[in-house]
Amino acid sequence: MTERTPVLKDKIAIVTGGAKGLGAAVAAELASEGARVVVTDLDQGGAAKTAEGLDGAESAVCDVRDDAAVAALVQDVVSRHGRLDVMVANAGIATVSPVSEMSIEEWRSVLAVNLDGVFSSVRYAGRAMAAAGGGSIITMASITGFAGSPLIAHYAAAKAGVISLTQTAAVELRPHGVRVNAICPGFIGTDLVTERAHLFEQGLGLDDFGAVINAAQGRLGEVGDVAPLAAFLASERSRFCTGSSFVVDGGMSASLV
Amino acid sequence: MLSDLKDKRALVTGAAQGLGRAIAELFVERGARVVLTDIDGDLLDKTVADLGTAAHGVVADVTSEAQVSSSVTAAVDHLGGLDIAVNNAGIEIGKPLVEQTEDEFDRLMSINVKGVFLGIKHETPAMIASGGGNIVNMSSVAGLGGVPLLGTYCASKAAVLRLTETAAVELRAHGVRVNAVCPSFINTDMVARLVNPFEGATGAKFDDLVAVKQQRLGTPEEVAETVAFLASDDARFVTGAHFTLDGGLTGSLF
Repeated sequence: MTERTPVLKDKIAIVTGGAKGLGAAVAAELASEGARVVVTDLDQGGAAKTAEGLDGAESAVCDVRDDAAVAALVQDVVSRHGRLDVMVANAGIATVSPVSEMSIEEWRSVLAVNLDGVFSSVRYAGRAMAAAGGGSIITMASITGFAGSPLIAHYAAAKAGVISLTQTAAVELRPHGVRVNAICPGFIGTDLVTERAHLFEQGLGLDDFGAVINAAQGRLGEVGDVAPLAAFLASERSRFCTGSSFVVDGGMSASLV
Repeated sequence: MLSDLKDKRALVTGAAQGLGRAIAELFVERGARVVLTDIDGDLLDKTVADLGTAAHGVVADVTSEAQVSSSVTAAVDHLGGLDIAVNNAGIEIGKPLVEQTEDEFDRLMSINVKGVFLGIKHETPAMIASGGGNIVNMSSVAGLGGVPLLGTYCASKAAVLRLTETAAVELRAHGVRVNAVCPSFINTDMVARLVNPFEGATGAKFDDLVAVKQQRLGTPEEVAETVAFLASDDARFVTGAHFTLDGGLTGSLF
């Protein structure tokens, strides 16, 4: 009864921030569903390492803060593969500081990657996909885009911006067959979270940030918990989904307490 | 394989027609064995016959605790356990709020809200006994905002979201996930019944409203795909969430 037809067979996909963490897991998931994935990152070696283990994958260096670099990346992929079907605008960074102690440079450094970088990715991918008759753009937002998130105001504001950008782009690109959706993970056990746990403990006066996460989410998420959702949103199975945010957080944002 | 449901044991309420039927059909296609319940026994028999040997029908009224309880027991007996439940049964009233009667309000809330509550209550112990599972409740974009003529329906679907969220948090430690799906206007008989009331109340063609807000009507199969994803192990860390499929309707102010 069940056929094992990969849902992204021969689709051309770009994943930004694919050297490690969520981006690497998403790249692997898309490849396992038959997509040919271009893994990009600021870290060229890391991107190459992710691509190495994946069927049909390749890597490219790309700093998403550089609008011209994102334009060149999309143009290069379209010229070599003939089209772009899937863009996962995943690249993101974080630091940990209270608003009152956050410098404007720190604020801008996070917004530059997490919001400007997504803007450029959506913009150029949307343009290429619209010209070709369709595609699916997936932005990596976060549940921090929905509510106050102490010590990561810049990150949360950027993610709220990503959710809004996703909605507007979805409606603008709808007539051209391009869908745009956001994934909103909770706390996932990537370097971005685990390397900063002690900073949250210091800043919030907590003994054990991990225990607080466990109480809110049941457990720390894993990158493999999130990646299948990217494949679903990239595939035709979600063809009526656009402009929406898809939460993967173990129930954290469902509960007020 | 994405959204694989091989050998999963599933219960779908309100499954004789519309979204429930499409969900049951896709579940069977993905490898699940499915017990379909509905209040309309004749239509249910026909649907179950169409779906083949992986499907089994149980007549049940979701507003009756005794019937919900016995239908879950029947499903567990037939399937040998319960991994997935889709609380889909629901009705609409398409009238201005001030024209809706007390009886209409009570009946809608009884099916759309109490039915989901009773489903969660009785499906959960069966899932825990089966080693965990997940529930998908049928909400709607009408649970996310107001819609003219659908006031009580909107309230009922918002209630489904709150039930979903609370159940998700309460049941997480027991290995039971609980999520909701929020479709917009889908090509079903329910939506077809709303066309005339909508055109009368708004003065606009329903097709135009659909075109500007969501480009086209969604299909029951598209709703079923989202339910199948949530019901599968691919959504193992998704709980208390609502997945919207609306062609962009709620993403845009205008």
